[in-house]
Amino acid sequence: MVEYDRNALKETVEPGTLKTCIVGVGGAGGNVLDRITLDRTVDAKLVAVHTDIRVLSHSMSPNKVQLGIELMRGVGAGGDPELGREAAMFSREQIREAVTGHDIVFICTGLGGGTGSGAAPVIAEIAKSTGALVFLTATMPFSFEGRRRVKQAEESLDHLQKRADALILFENNRMGELTLPKDGIQKAFSQADQLIAQSLRAVSTILTTPGLVKLGLDDLTAALNTSNGRCLFGFGEARGQNRGTEAVKRALKSPLIDQGRLLHQTKTLLVHIAGGESLTLLEVDAIMKQLGKNVPDQTHILFGVAVDPKLGDSVCVTLLSSLGLAQLNTLAAAAPPAEMLPVREREMPKVMDAMTPAQAAPQPPPAPKPARAPKVEAVKPAPAPVAESMDLFFSNEEAPAPAEPVPAAPPEPEAALPEADESIHAFVQEVVDEPAAEQEEPAPFEDEVIIEQEVVAAHIPEPEPEPQPEKPRRPRIEDYITDTPPAPRPVSTSLAEVVGRNKPAAPAADAPYMPAGSRSKITEEEEQIAFQFRSEEDRGRFRETEPVLADGGEDLDVPTWMRLKRKLRR
Amino acid sequence: MAKSTIYAGLEIGTSKICVVVGEAKRDGTIKILGVGTAPSRGVRKGEIVDFQKVQTVLNDALVRAEEPSEVMIRTVFLGVTGGHIRSLNSRGAWRLPEDQSEITEDDVEEAKEIARNVEIPQDHVFLHSITRQYIVDGQEGVRQPIGREGRVLEADYHIIHGMRGRIQNAVKCVREVPLEVEDVVFTAIAAAQVVLSREAKAQGALMIDIGGGTADYVLYEDGMIAASGCVPLGGDHITQDIAMAVQIPDRRAEELKVTEGSCIYEDVDPEDMVRVEDDNGFMIAEVERSFLNEVIHLRVREILEQVKARCEDHIGHLAAGVYLTGGTSLMKGIDVVAQDVFERKVTRAGSAPVSGVTATFEKPQFSAPVGLIRYAQILDQEKPFMSPLRRLGRKMADLLSIVP
Repeated sequence: MVEYDRNALKETVEPGTLKTCIVGVGGAGGNVLDRITLDRTVDAKLVAVHTDIRVLSHSMSPNKVQLGIELMRGVGAGGDPELGREAAMFSREQIREAVTGHDIVFICTGLGGGTGSGAAPVIAEIAKSTGALVFLTATMPFSFEGRRRVKQAEESLDHLQKRADALILFENNRMGELTLPKDGIQKAFSQADQLIAQSLRAVSTILTTPGLVKLGLDDLTAALNTSNGRCLFGFGEARGQNRGTEAVKRALKSPLIDQGRLLHQTKTLLVHIAGGESLTLLEVDAIMKQLGKNVPDQTHILFGVAVDPKLGDSVCVTLLSSLGLAQLNTLAAAAPPAEMLPVREREMPKVMDAMTPAQAAPQPPPAPKPARAPKVEAVKPAPAPVAESMDLFFSNEEAPAPAEPVPAAPPEPEAALPEADESIHAFVQEVVDEPAAEQEEPAPFEDEVIIEQEVVAAHIPEPEPEPQPEKPRRPRIEDYITDTPPAPRPVSTSLAEVVGRNKPAAPAADAPYMPAGSRSKITEEEEQIAFQFRSEEDRGRFRETEPVLADGGEDLDVPTWMRLKRKLRR
Repeated sequence: MAKSTIYAGLEIGTSKICVVVGEAKRDGTIKILGVGTAPSRGVRKGEIVDFQKVQTVLNDALVRAEEPSEVMIRTVFLGVTGGHIRSLNSRGAWRLPEDQSEITEDDVEEAKEIARNVEIPQDHVFLHSITRQYIVDGQEGVRQPIGREGRVLEADYHIIHGMRGRIQNAVKCVREVPLEVEDVVFTAIAAAQVVLSREAKAQGALMIDIGGGTADYVLYEDGMIAASGCVPLGGDHITQDIAMAVQIPDRRAEELKVTEGSCIYEDVDPEDMVRVEDDNGFMIAEVERSFLNEVIHLRVREILEQVKARCEDHIGHLAAGVYLTGGTSLMKGIDVVAQDVFERKVTRAGSAPVSGVTATFEKPQFSAPVGLIRYAQILDQEKPFMSPLRRLGRKMADLLSIVP
């Protein structure tokens, strides 16, 4: 008789078990992976993927793939998605090796950087080609990381959307709320990682555990299917008395759900209740009733129950839904006046600031997907040469893409450029470069910028950066002063003369806010506004202090000579 | 031998934080034992904006004052200033009871109470209530009404008040050092004690202490304080005007102001240029001296005009003229401008002679901190009116009133 280990048999032979693999791409993905490794929460193969050998060597996950060893030589992608993509192309065999043989592949990454944004789509493509279900868990960059990264993240997202079966997107800005403002940044990040890890675990549990009321991939995608949506995820686990209600409470407490407030807006909500064998119908009923209070009637609730002996006497409630970015922002940033936010963003936002919900608003423009589509196509041709040279993953579906924008171009201003190929290239360049240019602009009105971006995306004529400099630019001290350093002109210096001699050079400086021609049209009131507007700048180092107002309402912190000059000019 | 007390005065100014340790002798003289200064940080326009910076600098100044004087400073008289400080004169009339014709201390207290009972903004707190005079049955200028015959006693008060929060913040900041604050004094009042002589006060004088961030003024007439206040404009504003006009960094502007600056621009050679160099000796700007001076002139004039506007009613009574003190009073030609503005005799003054290491500290920058010692002394001198027994009684009463 042959002896065999029963346990070993059980592990391997269990027929229903789906094999999962979690791939952490880039720095953010690696962090999440570390978290998962440490918590040992998910029963899956963990693969860390990165371009940077040093980061990779610190990773705790058992399997590691270094991207583009020859190309990158162990150095990171330096925030360039192109490089990240190429590196992934180089190492596609290793990636394929790592992911094959799994039924579900989770890819977690932080978008916006080089490796994450660049390599994740490639990996998704590879994973898809092995016949696995591909889930993508990604974080969008903090708004303080700058528009450029947000843009990169969005571009990468477009690629990913085509390849992944479901996309779970987290808004970093909201993740910041996980921690108290005074907590260290490390804690903030680790909390965010934890939350992502939790969501991975929850999703894999939902999909893999056989349920009484089974939730499938279709339900998951339905819950997450919102255009440009961000994931709302809540997870609560409780045991003991009232474990049902406790678990719901905890799930609702998740900052991504904002005490259930954000659930009011969702169209579809996925609720998964898992418990040990002691789970009663009454408990499930109570949980659903409690949730009902937070969810409007018309919401489509996808409901699943699973019994998992591993859970013992605890009950887990998982809430999963998504909400359009625009809605998310309006809700999250309801408190602070929207127009104030962009200004704060400009002046090197502090990390702490950015972590508050207030910062959620100046996020990527809520460009509707259809509107974006042409841009995506336009962007893709650029990588094409590389792709072709190396037996491309993108070719099959995107090969015709380059042709598309070309015929589309002529009616548009870009068509003015001579050659089709170059025009695309130039246009791509412009699209990519634009956000960077914006950043340097003092553009005070974020709203306009957002609108404009959409315009750019939709290929409406004349969307180019030209309008920007024309924008009501806030007058600055420099404008005003440039003319003041005295021209070396030997004249007797009576008060009026000193003030007066600056006059000839003045109009240029005054132009931005008081065009010479239309000066008469400017009403007294407008002038007053302009005056107040600029006076804040003129106050120099007393800018933040309480103004010293004279009887006439003059701000005495503004240099005397400046005020005098202004008076004389009137 | 006269008994002496050691006091420490602390002024948290916009440009410097200064601690003065002085010995106040019973015969009315003061000996300065030590002065510690440190360039200020975290103070704007006379008000503390950054506690921690102030405390660091304050500790420096404290050590520098403690070392030469060999005194361990525990309590200080704190000088405060800021644009929020206001003043007003108030009179309270008290009719004596029918069966009483001689004014007693209780009557004075009553009159004081009524005089002090004035409306000040909700968030303000009394800083000083200085007795100007008593009026007995219409007879003005009574200094000591107790024991006089009379029917109606009026107490005439000069009340200085400021925003509670800001004053408390200053006190709190000092307490955290830790130092105990014995009294909070409006710096102008302190400075006037050493800048203005008794004679000048009697004749009528306006003292303006122009510091880095504020210009504090006190006006005396007939020996009584008539007006006081603070214009939150000072040397920093001059520096900023220069910095913005010549387009140089604040630090260079400050240097330029101190070394080259003057308020007189009219008779300056128009060809005369002033070079501004950076640390390495490279020229970063060049400016006509007349232009520079005019920028300074405009600001200085404005500061003085602002002060003038606030005590317009009393300007006519200034026989002793205007006394300028504080760091900015060192500005060249400021006396000419002041003369022009006030049309009175203008004196630039530091603190009146006091003994000790003072020779170096008769500079106008130190008027206020030295004045704090003098103020403490005066405060102490006013006390002996109470016998020890009575003082004890007061203390008990205070204690009782604290415990509800």
